[in-house]
Amino acid sequence: MTNISLEDLLVMEANCDRDETVDLRSLDYVSSYDDHLMCPICHCPFIHPVRLKCDHVFCQKCLVSAIKTSAAAQDDFTCPACRTPTGGIYLKLPRLLVNMCDEIRVRCPFRNEGCEEVAPRVFIQTHVDKYCGYRLMDCPLDLCGLKTRKKDLDPDGRCLHELHQCARCEGNIMEQDYEEHITELCPNLQTTCPDCHTTILRRELKQHTDSCSETIHTCSASKYGCPIQLRRADLATHEQTCPLISMGPYFDAQNARLDSLELTIRHLKQRNEIFEDGLANIRSTLAQSPTALVGSDGRVTASSPTRRNNNDPATSSSQSQIDSSNQYTATTTNYLLSLHESLREEVGQLSHAITDLDARASMAIMSECLRIKEDMAHTNAALGSIRMQVQWLLNPRLHQHQSSQRTGGVRITTPGGSNPAAAGPSTTTIPLRPRRLSDSGREGTKL
Amino acid sequence: MFATKRLSKELIKIKEHLPPGISIVKSDNLEEWQMDIRVLDENPLYLNQIYRLKFTFNNKYPIEPPEVQFIELPTTSETPRPIPIHPHIYSNGIICLDLLSSAGWSPVQTVESVCMSIQSMLTANSRNERPPGDKDFVSYNRRRPRDINFMYDDDNI
Repeated sequence: MTNISLEDLLVMEANCDRDETVDLRSLDYVSSYDDHLMCPICHCPFIHPVRLKCDHVFCQKCLVSAIKTSAAAQDDFTCPACRTPTGGIYLKLPRLLVNMCDEIRVRCPFRNEGCEEVAPRVFIQTHVDKYCGYRLMDCPLDLCGLKTRKKDLDPDGRCLHELHQCARCEGNIMEQDYEEHITELCPNLQTTCPDCHTTILRRELKQHTDSCSETIHTCSASKYGCPIQLRRADLATHEQTCPLISMGPYFDAQNARLDSLELTIRHLKQRNEIFEDGLANIRSTLAQSPTALVGSDGRVTASSPTRRNNNDPATSSSQSQIDSSNQYTATTTNYLLSLHESLREEVGQLSHAITDLDARASMAIMSECLRIKEDMAHTNAALGSIRMQVQWLLNPRLHQHQSSQRTGGVRITTPGGSNPAAAGPSTTTIPLRPRRLSDSGREGTKL
Repeated sequence: MFATKRLSKELIKIKEHLPPGISIVKSDNLEEWQMDIRVLDENPLYLNQIYRLKFTFNNKYPIEPPEVQFIELPTTSETPRPIPIHPHIYSNGIICLDLLSSAGWSPVQTVESVCMSIQSMLTANSRNERPPGDKDFVSYNRRRPRDINFMYDDDNI
């Protein structure tokens, strides 16, 4: 990209003698354009855009006039948009941007003269230069100073601005417009009314046709289908009796209803389309899954082909006229639907079985619980009686021991006693004592 | 030509959409427009007040700045429009804002952006005073706003 200084740009602009007769900024832009394509200075789509270092883009001409009028010195010129010091100007911009600006459609600047041309902006210069017949050209006669439309120029180079007086209306008409005037435009030209064939002046024609009694008009109920076309004079009598006129309001009401119904139908159609799309999606996913389903479940493989076989003859006989593709989709749909149905049944059965099983299991658990509880009660009772018996058995022994302790205490203090018979029982009773004590303690907590 | 084309484009856009608090009052020609502005927040200095701005364009707009000042409509009129009190707005409506001078102006500015700048200048203010020397300036000044050499000394605005 070439980067030039401000000074160079000014010099370039001064030397640049663009051979342009069309001011692109004053054109009438037909198509709307994006705000980003708009030069922030002139608010037109960029014309010969240039770019500053800060990436802001302006028309070359706009930027030059901004530089020229800026109060600061040229070196201090800042970007009008962001006030960054400029530091050089890039003349080349992406072709994309230039093309987008160039293709915006504009009207021919000679629209007021009658040119109806609408062209992309880039072509309007060529249009004006070469093709536009309405472009105003200088009169070939130097002294004249008036302008003539290009298409009206005299091939011999004569001035066409001489005034001629129209013989009928006594107005002064330039020669270039004279022919058109006397054949079409002169208000005093005689014409005949197309209906009543009276000869009248052109300027009165409009007034006349509005009131001419011979003009053929259609009945005002023609939009409801009344075929009557009558002269204005007769039409009034017809319209008083025309049945369609009296029915007009009803037709209008019905039309309004039809319109609203059509609207609802359109809405419904749209909704229907959406639903159909959804269905198609579901079908396509289903069509992919049968193979997987068939592989995983043996019963489906068994049931689905039989259903399909059942359907096949019926469809082939009834839809023999319908083309094969339609039939194919119909059978697949049927197949899929039957598949779906069988799967649904199976699921239903399974859920039944599960609930049944559930009930049975809970009953079994209940009865088992009851039995166990009974057993527990029995065991508890047995335990209680055993404890009673043990206590009863132990009691005399406890007493016996206590009495023996009272007598045997002397024996213990003299362990090295000479009576082995007495020492024998004492050694057996001593280890028993703590066990008994702990037993009685446990009893207390248990009961 | 340049100015009228640009202004008519701006006018089309303004009639489509304007930011809140800004409305166009008068635009019957392409030389003088009047805009009404209103401060949007709860600044007690400007609460419930509407102010009128007058824009005067010359044929070099937007290369040269427009002349912008507040104008006063008496309180007895149907639409009373006072001059807002601000340390940079003289009581005759002349605004001291560097954006509106030829040094601070940029051709990228539009009527809309100028209105928004003035709106925010009012919003940010909390001082209930006129510029120093207001009385003298108002009684002696016969110059047009563009010819006055303001000193832009307050960077807080």
